[in-house]
Amino acid sequence: MSDRARNIAVIVGMAAMAITLVFLVATNPSDVDRVQAIGERIKCPVCQGESIANSPSSMARDMMSLVSDSVALGASDDEIVEELLASYSGAVLLDPPVSGATLALWLAPIAALGTGALIIVWWRRHPGEPAEDTVRSTTSSRRLGPLLILGFSLAVIVVVAGFFLQDRSGPATGVADLAGQDLEDVSEETMEAVVAANADHPQVDGMRLALAERYYDIGDYSSAFPHYLAVAESANATGAQAVTALVRLGWMAWDGNAETETAIELFDQALAIDSASTTARYLKGLVLWCGAGEVDAATGLFEEVLAAAELSPEARTNVEADLAAVRDGDTCP
Amino acid sequence: MLAFLGSAGMLLAIVGAVLLVVRGVAAARHDTSPNLGGAAQLLLSGGAVAMLAMVLALLTDDFSLVYTANNHASATPFPFDVATAWAALEGSIVLWGLVLAGYTWFVFRRYRKSPDRLGAAALAVMGVVAIFFFGLMITVANPFEVCVQAMEAGCVRSSPWPFATVSAPADGPGPNPLLQNHLMMAIHPPVLYLGYVGMTVPFAYAMGALSLGVAGPEWLRRSHRSTLVAWSFLSLGILLGGWWAYEVLSWGGYWAWDPVENASLMPWLVATAFLHSGIVQQRRGMLQAWNFILVISAFSLTILGTFLTRSGTINSVHSFTQSAIGPALLGFLVLTLVGSFTLFSTRADTVATSPRIDSMVSREGAFLANNLLLSVYAFIVLVGTTYPLVLEAFTGTQVGVGEPFFNRLAVPLSFLLLLVMGFGPITPWRSAPPGLLWARTRIPGLIALAAGLLTALAVTRNGWVVLAVTLGVFVVGTMTGLLVEQVTARAAKTSETLPAALKQVVTGDGAFWGGQLSHVGVVLVAIGIAFAANLGSHHEVELSPGESAQFQGYTLTFESPFRQVQPSKTVLGARMTVTRDGNLIGLVEPSANFFGSDETGVSTPDVLHRPGGDLYITLLSTPETGSATFQFDTSPMIWVLWLGGLTTAAGGFLAMAARRRERSVTPDRQTVDV
Amino acid sequence: MRGNALRWVGYGVALAAVVFAVVLASRFGTDPSLVDSPLLGQPAPGFDLTPLEGGDPVSLDDLEGDIVVINFFASWCLECRNEHQALISTADAFADEEVTFVSISYQESPPASLQYLETEGKSEVTHYLADPGSRTAIAYGVFGIPETFFIDDEGIVVGKIIGESDAFTLGATIDAIERGESPGQSVTGNTQQSPDG
Repeated sequence: MSDRARNIAVIVGMAAMAITLVFLVATNPSDVDRVQAIGERIKCPVCQGESIANSPSSMARDMMSLVSDSVALGASDDEIVEELLASYSGAVLLDPPVSGATLALWLAPIAALGTGALIIVWWRRHPGEPAEDTVRSTTSSRRLGPLLILGFSLAVIVVVAGFFLQDRSGPATGVADLAGQDLEDVSEETMEAVVAANADHPQVDGMRLALAERYYDIGDYSSAFPHYLAVAESANATGAQAVTALVRLGWMAWDGNAETETAIELFDQALAIDSASTTARYLKGLVLWCGAGEVDAATGLFEEVLAAAELSPEARTNVEADLAAVRDGDTCP
Repeated sequence: MLAFLGSAGMLLAIVGAVLLVVRGVAAARHDTSPNLGGAAQLLLSGGAVAMLAMVLALLTDDFSLVYTANNHASATPFPFDVATAWAALEGSIVLWGLVLAGYTWFVFRRYRKSPDRLGAAALAVMGVVAIFFFGLMITVANPFEVCVQAMEAGCVRSSPWPFATVSAPADGPGPNPLLQNHLMMAIHPPVLYLGYVGMTVPFAYAMGALSLGVAGPEWLRRSHRSTLVAWSFLSLGILLGGWWAYEVLSWGGYWAWDPVENASLMPWLVATAFLHSGIVQQRRGMLQAWNFILVISAFSLTILGTFLTRSGTINSVHSFTQSAIGPALLGFLVLTLVGSFTLFSTRADTVATSPRIDSMVSREGAFLANNLLLSVYAFIVLVGTTYPLVLEAFTGTQVGVGEPFFNRLAVPLSFLLLLVMGFGPITPWRSAPPGLLWARTRIPGLIALAAGLLTALAVTRNGWVVLAVTLGVFVVGTMTGLLVEQVTARAAKTSETLPAALKQVVTGDGAFWGGQLSHVGVVLVAIGIAFAANLGSHHEVELSPGESAQFQGYTLTFESPFRQVQPSKTVLGARMTVTRDGNLIGLVEPSANFFGSDETGVSTPDVLHRPGGDLYITLLSTPETGSATFQFDTSPMIWVLWLGGLTTAAGGFLAMAARRRERSVTPDRQTVDV
Repeated sequence: MRGNALRWVGYGVALAAVVFAVVLASRFGTDPSLVDSPLLGQPAPGFDLTPLEGGDPVSLDDLEGDIVVINFFASWCLECRNEHQALISTADAFADEEVTFVSISYQESPPASLQYLETEGKSEVTHYLADPGSRTAIAYGVFGIPETFFIDDEGIVVGKIIGESDAFTLGATIDAIERGESPGQSVTGNTQQSPDG
């Protein structure tokens, strides 16, 4: 056979096989598992980056079961995906649509390929000169220094900016470390240090309160005072924290300095935040009785305290004893 | 004591790096020969001492170090306790520093004792990078801080001063459970780092060449071996990571386009382009600008990858916890990109050289197409990974970009690359004589199409599988044809026996044939993925003890549940027997590991490796009492994927070894012109 | 010619790098896993769930006209335990103001949740419901627990708290809704996605 005939035979053979192949592949019965296909487009919200189809976690399996039921009920792929996005937002879609916010995403590779091809075409049209092993010219090196300095300064700016932009409101060093732990082993000095280091942190009030309670327990009212005050005035303290602080401040005002009116005021502030606070009510009653001699008001308050549901048995006994004492006209202990 | 040792090591390394920069710059500018060896030695010993201190601290359960206190538990078995050295952020930087110091040492070894300005400049650049990484260690990511205020299991306050009063906790929480599941934890990160960090070497030479204004292939030649080593390790590292994820996480786990996986793929793609493109510059002096851009990009992508993993800006399975290291890495990335590209611009004239390309239908043209395809591939991965971040920064909209996006673009690109791989090696330099390409491709083309047809008729008509087989056979076919052509030509000329001629041809151009072996590896990877991803089967079933299920010809019987209490974890699992046609194939024990007081644990699948493909069993619910839910999957021919990955890496190592042999024989290597 | 082109390429890439870095730096303070709920301002997804102890199902329609507070919880969730008392006390406090609390068990078997409630306490006026298959959790787009949703008297989702809340915050949010405001989404702490973290 001549070369040419052989070539033609090869071409014909290739063409025949290629056509058959394309036909076979195109008519491949598509056993696409719809549920699996949809599942691969949705990110499992409680896993790290896996799709709900591929994750063995139980939430992913529940979501796949929902997808499977929806498919059985006749919903289309897009309807099922839309439904899930309506609950979770677009952040769980792994398959960005070729429209809207993600259009640029799909265009970028095409643009890149196009740009690359254009560059090659342009590069062929504009050949360069042969290589020369030149020692660096003085003009270039004069520009080099300033440019490198520019680069370095930009880098420094980025780094510094990054430090400032860094999230300062995550769990603070020390605060969250201790927050979940048993604080018994931590010294007051440590807590003072942690509090001082995180004075502006939104979650520092819990630590402050714990520290203040320490001082309070040993009777060191002067050390406890600033911390209770800070918590009471803090914009970030929870209601419960503010109430505790105010109640303690009130008691210290009465017990430490016999400032009856200040104490009553503080208890009232506490009750304004949490009208159900039995501690505030009880202590207000005590102070009214012992400090201001207002027996009737005190009686009323003690009765309100007893009417509240959640008193421990010993607290109940105490309050009952106080109520009895007030009613009998005893002087306060 | 160990804190002091480690801190001393870090300081030594920094001093060595600074000396290296100062002396290196001096040597590059003034043609002198200062003692760079001492500096390089300091750097290496410093890095080694730091690593040693870290490992010793872990082996001896020294909880006075914050790193040990926060990441290690005395119950952690060997080798996971050593692997803890790179399990958390600070330790991983120590590993990076050590590998960098090692590569710097090797660059020093290639430093010519006579005035060697390029070598000195390259060493200076390596020194700058080393200053950055060891500087990170000393400032924001200090692994040798001592614990001055301890809790039950961990550290509250720490101090960088090694002689501060120590208050050590009794034990630590131990490494993340996912990092104690598999031996790969001890192997994958060091191998990956050997690849990653190795990209610094060609970058350093490139920067040296640019700052000295020295155009030409010198810097390429001197760094080529390091590039090969780094590329081979990076390939191996990616393979090992994929294998680990597959064995431990999930059936599709070998590649999930996770941002951190992408962070390792991008430099690999660009490094592959660089390797190929460098050949053109060494042979024909062309593509010089491309090569500079490629090597700068490869190195920058390794820094970007490190940044993405450690900065907390992107969510991923791999994420280290957010820390102050983010801004520092970003700053270094900016410095690298701005510095190197402005340097590139100032030298644009010396760089913009090249002989004219004669014809696009040539080896040069094929390499150019290869460059383009791989660069676009890397660009796509970069865009896909960072798009959600960028979009949210500008518009506040939150989107997800995952597997479907990447697969849709990467798969066609990969097939295009396979096609170019089939034509490239058989296309001559300069310009292909008419008819030569046809002569070399017609028989492989026929065979490839026949193989595709055979697959479609006998195995599956799935388009991806058929295409992968067809293109794969084509690549191997053209390569084999070339080999046959060269062997028969040589045998005719020298009247050697065919085997002897074969040996001569292959060893005579070891770099080329090593590369061809890597191509075979890539083909195998493509075929392995095509089969495993498209032809697998999936089934979920609930079984009680004693019950069996049928799946893909296997009979799987849930024999009994089991419970193992180990020092660091409790394992709850199911024992199953697998039979096929009545023959016992194996015993599998899919399980879940429970660490501490968790309620559901980390699921560990079990895999039965078979020639036809793996049987993959996952335990979906724990069989404390009664029944358990199982998931069965098959991954047909997946061993082809692993074999392919190993072959790809092996090709790189072989090419490097051959080049080394040739260097000692012929300084100006000349391949047999094809 | 070529040299000039390359020069521009170099400077261009350097500039692009700086812009890119600034964009990345702007993301430093943010939590990449935090998602804005698309349900805010939308009608609340309905549910029809059986109480944990059994009995007649409770559906969202039954509570029409009330302000409904839906909390997702589980015994394995540490923050949920911390906020449990606050949920009870707030539920009781607002019981006669047409505010109904619903606590839905998330990814947990009813017996386990019931046992948790036995030990930690229950509110008599709160509905404790089981969510088999997590259908309601999925409908509400729960990413982790505790998450608390606030629905106004017209059935629109007007508030969401991600993380542990307390009596003060819960009360303040309900007060705001009673005044006709829409508090929106706020993050008060971390959530747990599964028993192991």
